[in-house]
Amino acid sequence: MENVDSINTGEEKGEEKVNYLTNGFSVKSWLLTKDHKRIAIMYLISVSVFFVLGGIYAGLIRLELLTPASDLLESGSYNKVFTQHGVIMVFFYLIPAIPAVLGNFLLPIMIGAKDLAFPRINLLSLYIYWVGGSLTLFALMQGGVDTGWTFYTPYSTTFSNSFVMLVGLGVFINGFSSILTGLNFIVTTHTMRAPGMTWFRLPLFVWAQYATSLVMILGTPVVAITILLLAVERLTQTGIFDPALGGDPILFQHLFWFYSHPAVYIMILPSMGVISELISNFSRKKIFGYEFIAFSSIAIAVFGFLVWGHHMFVSGQSIYAGLVFSFLTMVVAVPSAIKVFNWTATMYKGSISYDTPMLYAIGFLGLFLIGGLTGLFLGSVGLTVHVTDTYFVVAHFHYVMVGGTVLGYLGGIHYWWPKMTGKMYSEFWGRISAMLVFIGFNLTFFPQFILGYQGMPRRYAAYPEEFQVLNIFSTAGASVLGIGMILPVIYLVGSLINGKSAGPNPWLLPGLEWRTSSPPPTFNFEKTPVVTWEAYSFGEDSGLDIEEARRESTVSPTA
Amino acid sequence: MSEHQHIGIPGYLGVFAFLFIATIITYVVALQDLDGMFFPGANTLVALAIAFAKMTFVVLFFMHVRWQSRLIWMAVVSGFFWLAIMFAYTLQDYLTRSVIGY
Amino acid sequence: MTHDDKHDDHYHPPGLQHQFDDMGQQMDSVTIGMWTFLAQEIMFFGGLFTAYLVFRSRFPMAFAAGSNHLDAFWGWLNTLVLIVSSLTMALAVFYAQKGNRNLQVVMIILTMIFGTVFLGVKAIEYTDKYNHGLVPVDGWNKVVPEGEDHGKEAARLSLPFETTVSAAESADGSDKPHPNPRGEFQITDADLDLVTMAQKEGFLTESEKIGYFSNGELDPEKVKGKVQIFFWIYFVMTGLHALHMVVGLGIMLWLLVMAWRNTFSADYYSPVEISGLYWHFVDIVWIFLFPLLYLLGRHFLAGGH
Repeated sequence: MENVDSINTGEEKGEEKVNYLTNGFSVKSWLLTKDHKRIAIMYLISVSVFFVLGGIYAGLIRLELLTPASDLLESGSYNKVFTQHGVIMVFFYLIPAIPAVLGNFLLPIMIGAKDLAFPRINLLSLYIYWVGGSLTLFALMQGGVDTGWTFYTPYSTTFSNSFVMLVGLGVFINGFSSILTGLNFIVTTHTMRAPGMTWFRLPLFVWAQYATSLVMILGTPVVAITILLLAVERLTQTGIFDPALGGDPILFQHLFWFYSHPAVYIMILPSMGVISELISNFSRKKIFGYEFIAFSSIAIAVFGFLVWGHHMFVSGQSIYAGLVFSFLTMVVAVPSAIKVFNWTATMYKGSISYDTPMLYAIGFLGLFLIGGLTGLFLGSVGLTVHVTDTYFVVAHFHYVMVGGTVLGYLGGIHYWWPKMTGKMYSEFWGRISAMLVFIGFNLTFFPQFILGYQGMPRRYAAYPEEFQVLNIFSTAGASVLGIGMILPVIYLVGSLINGKSAGPNPWLLPGLEWRTSSPPPTFNFEKTPVVTWEAYSFGEDSGLDIEEARRESTVSPTA
Repeated sequence: MSEHQHIGIPGYLGVFAFLFIATIITYVVALQDLDGMFFPGANTLVALAIAFAKMTFVVLFFMHVRWQSRLIWMAVVSGFFWLAIMFAYTLQDYLTRSVIGY
Repeated sequence: MTHDDKHDDHYHPPGLQHQFDDMGQQMDSVTIGMWTFLAQEIMFFGGLFTAYLVFRSRFPMAFAAGSNHLDAFWGWLNTLVLIVSSLTMALAVFYAQKGNRNLQVVMIILTMIFGTVFLGVKAIEYTDKYNHGLVPVDGWNKVVPEGEDHGKEAARLSLPFETTVSAAESADGSDKPHPNPRGEFQITDADLDLVTMAQKEGFLTESEKIGYFSNGELDPEKVKGKVQIFFWIYFVMTGLHALHMVVGLGIMLWLLVMAWRNTFSADYYSPVEISGLYWHFVDIVWIFLFPLLYLLGRHFLAGGH
């Protein structure tokens, strides 16, 4: 097949080809780059900084909760610590992490494009992210914010004496970064696909990014305007959320959750895309029910907008609305379940290789299952009255956010690390860290389900003594989890220095991103590829010479 | 899509004339007590109907959606569809508070 | 930045970005991109419209009272101004496609003039609200000391069928000024009369029955709060809209420079096209703001339902 020759870009020996990393070394060549891959790398670094910062706050929370008394932090500081943990993790890590890092890097390569449709807007969105992030960091240094990451009125508008305006401004600005990224992905997926790359040949990661972008475009502006209203209200000390005037704090919750529930899907959908890639590729089996997984992403994006009221069951919204939102919450579980069933079916009778990315993927399946099912508990309008604002909720959303998004993110980073850097990390330490994360995570958050069910409320610095044993488990788990998270930083960075060269296709996979050199050249492919194969085809029709790829690959995990 | 699709100068002026007249009508009508003449909410209905008609003309002709691909139509429609979701599901709370419970 | 040699072989039409293969792909991309952006804008303003909808459905009488304080003539004039500017914008795109530089430049300048007129009228209206104690933030209004006769504020244009009532003019039509020593938000007796009338006719909503009364008595302070909410929404909505106009004028300036340099032709006019989309969108927002803010509820004065 002639097109195969055109896309096999085995490196010529002796002469190092220019790739996107070696294409200019000055600071300016990075800061003014229009290359989506360089922008992704800068996102990777920025997002990691925020992740570490959020992690430090998480550590403080767990240390405080080691003992029943409020001894390490007094209540006011504790409020700030959990608020800042939430704000940083949600707005500056979870939401941008997978789309802005992995999506940015891989979406154009996976569809065979030279770049995103609007490279300059892509760079702009990185700068907006930096501005929003800096403002937030500045506010934290000034003294921080204590309203909870949800900024509920009237506390945030009238009573809080902390830096709500600054942090709000940071989040507002950051929202536009997310909107522009989503816009870029949507346009790129529509107009930049390579010849032969039809919609149903797209990798599921691209479908997931597309669905995520829809949510970003249609949801993020609403939270932007909501926070703007909040800021104006705080500035003028009068407005529509002020009950003293006849305003309505519950309207704030409606507007806030109109975005912030779909924002959960901004976090989890890209991760599901990564998992689809990992499960199929490491089982060496065509994914089961491609169309179902693709459309369930879109379905989640759409139905995700219809369920926000389940965050407000006890807020004073009408019981009728509660019933409707409760029912729709059950509906939105269906597409998520479809995905889980299809992933499991894909693994069935596959030839699974338990490399680090796959370990993360399997961990995701277990944790997301628990996170999703406990979500149904919380979506039931009757049961939720008992567990609202307890650690049950905290445990649930950490199972989804950390168990879902963070594991998907780590799995994706490990999976595509050889493509991004051209280096192979230590498989041994990779597996160790994947297992530490899984064990540490469960040890941290499973006890919190029990604590919540027993009635321990969230957001308090002190608690009754009978809860201490489970809290000690939780804190111990957090330290294991912390080690599991620090390890990748060490061995991944180490691999840059002494890692083995990965070669274009270390995992011996048919996807388009594995058919260009590692790291890829600035315009991704030597020649625009022509796609003649279906996604995830491991047979002859993929046009990939596995034996040749194996010879070229210095690290062959399945050998 | 480099073919130029539009309605020409007479067409643009026609659309403008419609918008102009609709603006005058909406103003005059708003001063009449349609609620009393017909049914409560008639004033609101008429004002919004005229606004929708004006918007449709601007979107179709000034913004050239009339000649655009299905994708653009979908972008327009989905924008308003999501807006409708926000309206409907927020109001289903506010409008039912006195029906059941509160 | 070192370019891949292979890419320099291609013929590059002027205006074609490196990531695209041809002008068609670029035109498709920017068009889809702009419409995606506009979908985003719909939701951005949508949050405000939702807030309007919620409060108007709960307190229609207070919103009618607030509407009646606005000068519908200025709102109406501004609607016409924006519609004319939309026409000139559409013609600017038309002449850009034709490659007619001079008429293109004229149309863009006209659009900018009308945009500026709109903002000027908006400024007159805002000043008017400031003078009449209708800015919904206490202390942000003009201070009128007790007993000082400031007479009527700057004479306003009025059509014969105009029915504006402002806080500075008493409902009975006398010229007695309302003192406002601390620059507070004020409402008039006419607003309270409107509520009383609605109560007599029996069409107060459930929220209004609670929201306007204390112990069964009409409570002017509580009514004032709801009218204040109307004006708060009015200022945020029109303010954000005006901000979009200012951004639009900036874009027009950029277009003017490009058009002046004769950049656009039948092959390359997408900047004019998508800037036009933005301008028309801002126009559409106003098409809805005008009836919602200025007109609804005005018939209560005309007909006295």
